[in-house]
Amino acid sequence: MTQALHTRPDVFDTVVVGAGVMGATTALFLARAGQKVALIDREDMFRAASGVNAGTLTLHMTRAQLIPHAIRGREMWLDSANWLGEDVGALATPGLSMAFTEAEEELLRQRARVRQEMGAPIEVLSAKETIRIEPGINPTLRAAAYCALDGHIPTYRVGGAYARALRQAGVTIIENSPVEGISPATGGGYEVRITGRAHPVRGHRIVLSTGAWLEKMLGWLGYDIPIRCLINQLVVTETLPPVMRSVLSIANGLLSLKQFANGSVLIGGGWQGEGNIHQGGTRVIPENLRGNVRLAQHVVPRLNEAQILRVWLGLESETPDAMPLIGALTPDEDAFVVGCIHSGFTSGPYMGRLLAERILGSDPDLGAFDPTRFSSLPATGTRP
Amino acid sequence: MSSPDFSPVTVIGGGIAGATSAIALSRHGFPVTLIDEQPVAGGQIFRAPSPYARKIVPPNHEFSGGDTLRQKLAASNVDVRFSTRVWGLSPTLMLDLLGPDGINQLPAATLVVANGATERFLPFQGWTTPRIIGLAGASILMRNGGTLPGQSVVVAGSGPLLFSVAHQVLELGGRVVAIVDAGHRSDWLRLGAMLSLDPARLTQATSWMLRLKKAGIPIHHRAHISEAQETGTGLRLTVTEMDHPERRHVYATEAAACGYGLKPSTLITRTAGVQHRHDPVGGYLEPVTDTAGRTSRPDLYVTGDAAGIRGMAVARLRGLITAHAIAHDRGVISRDTYEALTRVPLRQRRRLEAVSRQMLPLMNAGSAIPAHLQDETIVCRCERVKAATLRSAIQAGAEDLNQLKAWTRCGMGPCQGRMCEDSARGLLAAACGKTPEEAGSFTARMPFFPLPLTAVTGDFTYSDIPLPKAAPL
Ligand SMILES: Cc1cc2nc3c(=O)[nH]c(=O)nc-3n(C[C@H](O)[C@H](O)[C@H](O)COP(=O)(O)OP(=O)(O)OC[C@H]3O[C@@H](n4cnc5c(N)ncnc54)[C@H](O)[C@@H]3O)c2cc1C
Repeated sequence: MTQALHTRPDVFDTVVVGAGVMGATTALFLARAGQKVALIDREDMFRAASGVNAGTLTLHMTRAQLIPHAIRGREMWLDSANWLGEDVGALATPGLSMAFTEAEEELLRQRARVRQEMGAPIEVLSAKETIRIEPGINPTLRAAAYCALDGHIPTYRVGGAYARALRQAGVTIIENSPVEGISPATGGGYEVRITGRAHPVRGHRIVLSTGAWLEKMLGWLGYDIPIRCLINQLVVTETLPPVMRSVLSIANGLLSLKQFANGSVLIGGGWQGEGNIHQGGTRVIPENLRGNVRLAQHVVPRLNEAQILRVWLGLESETPDAMPLIGALTPDEDAFVVGCIHSGFTSGPYMGRLLAERILGSDPDLGAFDPTRFSSLPATGTRP
Repeated sequence: MSSPDFSPVTVIGGGIAGATSAIALSRHGFPVTLIDEQPVAGGQIFRAPSPYARKIVPPNHEFSGGDTLRQKLAASNVDVRFSTRVWGLSPTLMLDLLGPDGINQLPAATLVVANGATERFLPFQGWTTPRIIGLAGASILMRNGGTLPGQSVVVAGSGPLLFSVAHQVLELGGRVVAIVDAGHRSDWLRLGAMLSLDPARLTQATSWMLRLKKAGIPIHHRAHISEAQETGTGLRLTVTEMDHPERRHVYATEAAACGYGLKPSTLITRTAGVQHRHDPVGGYLEPVTDTAGRTSRPDLYVTGDAAGIRGMAVARLRGLITAHAIAHDRGVISRDTYEALTRVPLRQRRRLEAVSRQMLPLMNAGSAIPAHLQDETIVCRCERVKAATLRSAIQAGAEDLNQLKAWTRCGMGPCQGRMCEDSARGLLAAACGKTPEEAGSFTARMPFFPLPLTAVTGDFTYSDIPLPKAAPL
């Protein structure tokens, strides 16, 4: 849906570039606070990472430092009826992270300890205790880390829910509009140029939230931050009788396994495919498909009855220190970024809201996420 | 002429077009591999009948034609891989196969896609009962299995398959309750007038029509099944006239066969990234090809109905022409030889195609139906998505077919949208005032059909799994 743009463009309070969960949440809370907001995406909204992710609301796989944010993000998902306007079907379940070898058990205990310190309610269980909770697990396991706060969300329901909420909040949604350049406007603010459109979109302020495509865009504002693009593989099966209740993972974090209400099982964990972010197009690496699925079948042997329905790949972004980029890019506080957040779907609504609050003048602690930390530019940045 | 390039050719699809092409390519001296999901060659039309069907179905051209094709293939040097399905491919044309021995990969230097057609289906209230099957499915059941879908059958939809299926029901001693056709009677008359160009079809059509007429079967043109209700013993079908929706006819029947013409199977060509176009007459997406089946990729050819629906007689000619074109493109035969070899097939083909093209509007006669689907009607059976759900997503801004899929799951199930894509597109296009082309097509995803998980995993132990290094803590 693209609302007609006037030939002489209005000036928006904020122009958000990138309509995934980060940009859309920021846009939503800014608009609700009374701002005039445009949200631009080069495709339809929620079609990149935020539309294809595994929907695990996990603390086991979140970076330890982000656990407080993930806990809040998870709560927001479970409470979506209240702030998003509709219940998107998030489900609270426990999460179990498993160890099958001695080395894995050691890793599991060490990681559980760090995450406990960051506030995750994780305890390590014996094999016997684990099997009592999840009878379908391979009995050769040695131990598992149990987290009471886990769960999942049917990702596909989120895009439509956001579209309705954004419209209701009065956000101007501009889809199928690749942004090809951003430059300071005379008299302040920015001009955002869209491929194939004569007139740029103008805003007093911009927010960059283009996920895996942030590197290039940050470059336009003078930032040189190498952003790694992960090409994550997901596999979904046809419906099966119930084989698990919890979200399952393994000690090193490279598995996520859950069964949705309709009985289909989603297998993920960040196994990689191939692709080129600039040219587009991704493809499955057969050994990685096999490895990922073997791991799943090892953990839940009854998956040997499953049929693989679909395999797909999605792009996720990571900074050199694997910590997010959230905050101001300029001393004038008129350009912001939000992205590169590990397990970002879980914490996305919370992170987006934090940035909106920051823009609206409050002062949440975003210190560790300061985008200027990689830059030779002074900590406050300079206006390009 | 540059030095001939005899690198191997892989053909997907052992129907008339693919098998003919494979045999001709092998005669030109290419090493040829032919892949087909069926246990023997023949495709849809020349599908091998079961021993039972051979006994009870009267001898016909399809049986004999299929037998001849299979004999020729057996006598050729073509390396055949039957009971093998292509479930994916990479941009470099590495094919992912599922065969009798599990999954494996096969690189294709040159690929000929001859995977034929898929039946188009348009839903109506109550269509998901097992008493309703596709026209193509019904035809296979009767022709190759010797079994009726029910003692009494309503035959509905559009296109020539209507009359072929009705005739097959009579042949096996069943009763055709009614024929319900979305097409105009005048389009059929126009087709009839052209059939003199295709004497074989003319004879066949005349004998069918006489027989149907003699049986006194009601035929409704410009009509469609609008609702099916299960009764204890069968179905109660409501037939609605498309130009006078208030005019309805109710039939009791054991079963119904329903289909709205054919469309090219494009999962493979779309995944390979060749250019496609929407054919407004056929109402379907087809790969862009030249007369010989060349596509926007020099290493990929499409032949037979996979390149646009033209029927079986044309399929054989197309298969032949494509094989000669590859021989020419690879420097195996000269331009002159190519022209000499293709002159007659091309001439025959032009004549036959004139008739085939006349059938396209008849097959596509149901194109207006999706716009008027009742809210309660299930569009996507796999994910049980109703028309109302699609309409509310469109209202929320899903104005592209893939966004509609992402928001509603329509088309995400095991059938890959084969059943629902046309109706979802029609509904979307009507709701947004878009052309079918603008509404888009579902992105093809792998695997093309559900793959047994154990075919991927095979035998293994935990230590065989190459665990990636731990994610950052
Ligand atoms: C396969 C996969 C599985 C995952 N599983 C999980 C999980 O289970 N749990 C979890 O918490 N997280 C998961 N994640 C991570 C999570 O999906 C992401 O962290 C999150 O969705 C990122 O949101 P975003 O808004 O930053 O980026 P995106 O959703 O990628 O949004 C960026 C948007 O920017 C747009 N854009 C790009 N370039 C331009 C341009 N030039 N002009 C205009 N627009 C542009 C894109 O079209 C896109 O819509 C997964 C990620 C992937 C890929």
